[in-house]
Amino acid sequence: MAFLVGLVSSMAQAEEVGERWGTADRERDFYRVVELPIPKDLVIEAGAFTTLPDGGVAVGTRRGEVYFISGADEAKPQPEYQLFASGLDEIFGLAWKDGALYVTQSCELTRVTDADADGRADHFDVVSDAWGYGTYHEYAFGSKFDPQGNLYVALGLSNSYDSFQLFRGWVMKVTPDGKSIPIASGLRSPGGIGYNEEGALFYIESQGPWNSSCSLKAVKEGGFMGHPASYNWYDFASNMGKAPALPRSGSRVLEEKRLIPQLEPYAVIFPYIRMGRSVTGFTLNQTKGKFGPFENQMFMGDYTLSLVMRATTEQVNGVWQGACYPFREGLSTGILNVQFTPEGRLLCGGTNRGWPVRGLKPFALERLDWTGRMPFEIERITITPKGFHLAFTKAVDAQTGNDPASYALSTFTHEYHAGYGGPEIDVTAPKVLAARLSEDGMTADLELDLLRKGHVHAFDLAALRSRDHDELLHRHAYYTVNEVPKEPSGSVKPR
Amino acid sequence: MSPAFPGRRCRSVILRVVGLVSSVLLGHAGASEPPLIPGLAQRHPLSEKQAGEVLMSELRCAACHEGMQGEGMKLAPDLRTVGSRLNGYYLRHFIADPSGVHPGTTMPSLMAGESEEARRATSEALMSYLLSLQEPQVPVKVTGKADANAGREAYHALGCVACHSPRDAEGKELSRKGDVSLSHLAGKYEPNALAEFLLDPLKVRPSGRMPDMGLSRSESADLAAYLRNGHQEQALDIERPGPEQVAIGKEAFKRLNCAACHQMDESEMKVVRPGPPLAKLDPLRGCLSETPKSAPDFHLSEGQRKSIRSALAVASEPDSAAERIRMKLTQLNCIACHVRDDFGGVAPDRDAFFHTTEPALGNEARIPPPLTKIGAKLRPEWLNRVLLDRERVRPYMQTRMPHYGDVALKGLSEWLVAVDHPEPAVHKSIPPDPDEPSDPDELSAQDRELRKRMRNGALELLGDKGLNCISCHNFNGTESQGMKGLDLMTSYQRLRPEWFRGYMRNPAAFRPGIIMPSYWPDGKATQTGILDGDAKLQIEALWDTFSLGRSARDPSGLRSADIKLVVGNHPIVKRGRSRVAGFRGIAVGFPGGMNYAFNAQNGTLSAIWKGEFVYVNWKSQGAGDFTPAAKALALAQDVSFLQLDDDKAPWPLMPVTNKEKPVNPDPLYPRNHGYAFVGYALDAAFNPAFTYRCGDITIEDKPVPGSSVGPNVLRRTFTFSSPAETTLHFRALTGRIESESPGVFKTPEIRVSLSQGETMVRPSAAGDVGQELLVRLRIPKGNSSFTVDYALLP
Repeated sequence: MAFLVGLVSSMAQAEEVGERWGTADRERDFYRVVELPIPKDLVIEAGAFTTLPDGGVAVGTRRGEVYFISGADEAKPQPEYQLFASGLDEIFGLAWKDGALYVTQSCELTRVTDADADGRADHFDVVSDAWGYGTYHEYAFGSKFDPQGNLYVALGLSNSYDSFQLFRGWVMKVTPDGKSIPIASGLRSPGGIGYNEEGALFYIESQGPWNSSCSLKAVKEGGFMGHPASYNWYDFASNMGKAPALPRSGSRVLEEKRLIPQLEPYAVIFPYIRMGRSVTGFTLNQTKGKFGPFENQMFMGDYTLSLVMRATTEQVNGVWQGACYPFREGLSTGILNVQFTPEGRLLCGGTNRGWPVRGLKPFALERLDWTGRMPFEIERITITPKGFHLAFTKAVDAQTGNDPASYALSTFTHEYHAGYGGPEIDVTAPKVLAARLSEDGMTADLELDLLRKGHVHAFDLAALRSRDHDELLHRHAYYTVNEVPKEPSGSVKPR
Repeated sequence: MSPAFPGRRCRSVILRVVGLVSSVLLGHAGASEPPLIPGLAQRHPLSEKQAGEVLMSELRCAACHEGMQGEGMKLAPDLRTVGSRLNGYYLRHFIADPSGVHPGTTMPSLMAGESEEARRATSEALMSYLLSLQEPQVPVKVTGKADANAGREAYHALGCVACHSPRDAEGKELSRKGDVSLSHLAGKYEPNALAEFLLDPLKVRPSGRMPDMGLSRSESADLAAYLRNGHQEQALDIERPGPEQVAIGKEAFKRLNCAACHQMDESEMKVVRPGPPLAKLDPLRGCLSETPKSAPDFHLSEGQRKSIRSALAVASEPDSAAERIRMKLTQLNCIACHVRDDFGGVAPDRDAFFHTTEPALGNEARIPPPLTKIGAKLRPEWLNRVLLDRERVRPYMQTRMPHYGDVALKGLSEWLVAVDHPEPAVHKSIPPDPDEPSDPDELSAQDRELRKRMRNGALELLGDKGLNCISCHNFNGTESQGMKGLDLMTSYQRLRPEWFRGYMRNPAAFRPGIIMPSYWPDGKATQTGILDGDAKLQIEALWDTFSLGRSARDPSGLRSADIKLVVGNHPIVKRGRSRVAGFRGIAVGFPGGMNYAFNAQNGTLSAIWKGEFVYVNWKSQGAGDFTPAAKALALAQDVSFLQLDDDKAPWPLMPVTNKEKPVNPDPLYPRNHGYAFVGYALDAAFNPAFTYRCGDITIEDKPVPGSSVGPNVLRRTFTFSSPAETTLHFRALTGRIESESPGVFKTPEIRVSLSQGETMVRPSAAGDVGQELLVRLRIPKGNSSFTVDYALLP
């Protein structure tokens, strides 16, 4: 049985968790890990967070409880935990709207309210349960509300290979008037769902069949996210038309996209182990500088490696793509979700039970606090017709910044196949023909001999120095190229 | 307006309670004592010169004298919001006579040569200025009632007495030379300010000489209550200083160069160094004279003057890393708890204050670990996590490792690593080396086989059939059934591999007196039946398994049980998958022991039991599935309300999936029969009532114990609301059904009593079920109700 293989490999077989980035001791100068103490009698295996109108934060747990946390932003936190709701089923989504908490639990999306205002929830109303739930491993991840008041639920398959119950492997859109509309198929095992700074919907996909690494994928209505096990439910989704053609195993994702227009390629690939082994919930940094640099970027946890990464996205020729960057390692437990506090600190939480995890604590709530010092980091990579535009958090010195040799690039791709995971293949080493640092040293434009579509472009900028002689805090970044922008008319070269 | 100071703001009574406060403060004021550096006040490893250097750093000599080494100097308290913390009366007296009010303080008297009158006027002015430095927003944090008794216990157990004196039953310090006296605390702080300080001392004293003890809010309140020693907190009614007084005070603050030591916001506080530069310094004059007049008076002892002169006399060679370690450990008084090489350790008169929750583990569970070769023992990143990120792994140790902050600890971990020079990892490990992980697919077949053997061998060694390590150690988050020693799974992340290998062969060589036996004496395995009794292979195998962290399998003898939910005074609702309720299951337990499960997927009461509530699987990957904790009567889980076309129509059964046919063949069931789950609400007593729909009819379903009917009865009250008069079928029971009387039916396990409806017993379409009891209900337009009692039969 295929699903037994998945089960056995995740449960019984011990796995190494992989090496560290080795940057924690330097990261500490810029982002401190601050523990939020949890009272001895509470078990808070965080699966979801949301901020509350009163400035507090709510946490939903794998044990089905919701706590309201006050004091999460104190410099030395001694938060108070108020149990708001209990008895729910593995919470992986929390959102607040109009005096109600919307809880995505495995069985349903529930509107939870406290009608008698005694601080404990007393009404649990179904908002949507329009999906099947009847097999091991069928988790449900809920988004926050979009500006139209829709909420999205990402539904994992029944196991790595099959969809036994209705709409397993689909994204459901739940509208303000309570309709549940299946809008995309092809998910395997989501880890989180949310928006980028432009309001576009994305979800985190896990490594496994049809996914050689974890990735961030854009969710478009009518889209197919790559794993065909969920085709069996198109008959129940009249808005979606017929099931797309089956992808050919062993191909490349962009090749298959030519034949299957609904197929959504990986927007940001997280190279396996180097950039996480089980990427989970993500959130958007719109703290207006309270968290330091990296405004309008996504921050995501990793369960196995107990760390936090960041990602940026851009749309090129109508297709989403972008880059991921290491951010902070050395958290104490497996990170399942992250959330910015009202004061702009990144709250991280999770558990280490069940799967291999580097962090030693069975559960923990921790905060990443910006120390106010500016790290020297690659702020963001965007693509240009001939190469890449790199923005930095600190001015780069002219000598290393203008030297193409400071920018070591390599590329790889993955097979798009039904097997579980897959190696990095078709490795190339593009030549950096030119590197031009801006006058203020804050950006650089690279011209490459070739941009390879379908390849992850891995950057290693070890040689780069800031004007104050810093090395990059993280020298690596990984940009997934799906599309190359067209040459702007009238111009020959990027700026 | 600052809510914390109503007295000061709203009234202008002058010094109403001066009498009280002065007795609190000055009752303890005595003859001036020399500044106390706790680490130097006991047996320490420093030379005269080094002791002098530490003193100069603690007294901040370089703040006034050019040319002195000022790096790492202790920072004086941050005064930027001092007016919110300390009371004016205390400030005034302390400034006038620091050492007299707080014996042992490192704050010098700056007005030693001035007249009594001038001193009084200046300290009064400074007080005014300092009181004007208020926190912009006073935190409103309500703490429960502080418990001074709990504070006393904490004071004597958490480690406070490493630097401060133990106290007798009346709170009197059983003072020992070398303890930092706290007798001045009673009158020093504004209400709540002492507790706030204890909660986060580094906020205003970033140098960590008073370190952060990791107190919770209530612990710090308790401790503050204890340290006040019976004196009530109250805001002093001191007249709020006018702007004129504040300005005079500010001038005095500048004149006395206070900002040389105290962090201030204002840029106008220019720091000058009025003392003679190092090169021109006369070690018999100024601060170092016996009775300083125009210089700051630290009340130095003769011995202290001697040490400082010795440090000044020797041309300052940069200290080696080893010397810096000794000085740092003395400066921060780490040596009050930790041994390193031949110095430090718990003083005999303090030994009794170090406790553990695991006394059977011996001193190792009670006394902080030695720091000898600590840089060779711990991985550098772990050392930093302990020092900088408050990582702690010994929950049984009652004394807390304080948090000193990165200002105080700057450089320490690098020096420790450099000095303890861990052996380079020359030892080539048996494949596979977890420190150099390799892709399992790249291992040779032979190595793969070896790895498998090693992992099995390690589990045997750890478990109760082998060395039974788990009888004295927690393992992978599961508590040991015996002594709860350090979780073995922390080993890999904390320890350097070379150190682990050496330690395993002879623990007592590293920790004399440890109760951990040597399992490989003279390099020979005592457990010869596992991994061929190969000592090296056994130790490697353990290390390899520790590298697996949470994914390591449990050794034999380790018990991690499902969690039992216990019903207290209120009903409990627990959702989750269950054999007795399907995936969308809801278990409800009542006080008194009645329990039921509801299948919300199908809208059916699916199990009833009496006794304990449920076990929940939250271990490993467990998704919270529940199992009744007593023998449960399972009922049918098919949809229970339908609008059947006629009484003969078969009851639609829920789809069945199994290993052979795993895909749900009827994925819309029972939605395609009109059912929809709407949710549930808890009443004031926390009893849930479920709401669901059958077509147009909304059904509220509220099961509660029917104690008035019988001991093991569940009474289920339905409330229907229907837009029109209609008929509804209810499938009340399945199995071997007997009719007892009209409306009363039973199977061998349960009796069902119906309040109304036409009943019919007919063979069930589900072959193995036997019969089914259907009830035809006439539903009027609007609201109506229906009651069913379920009595468990003995």
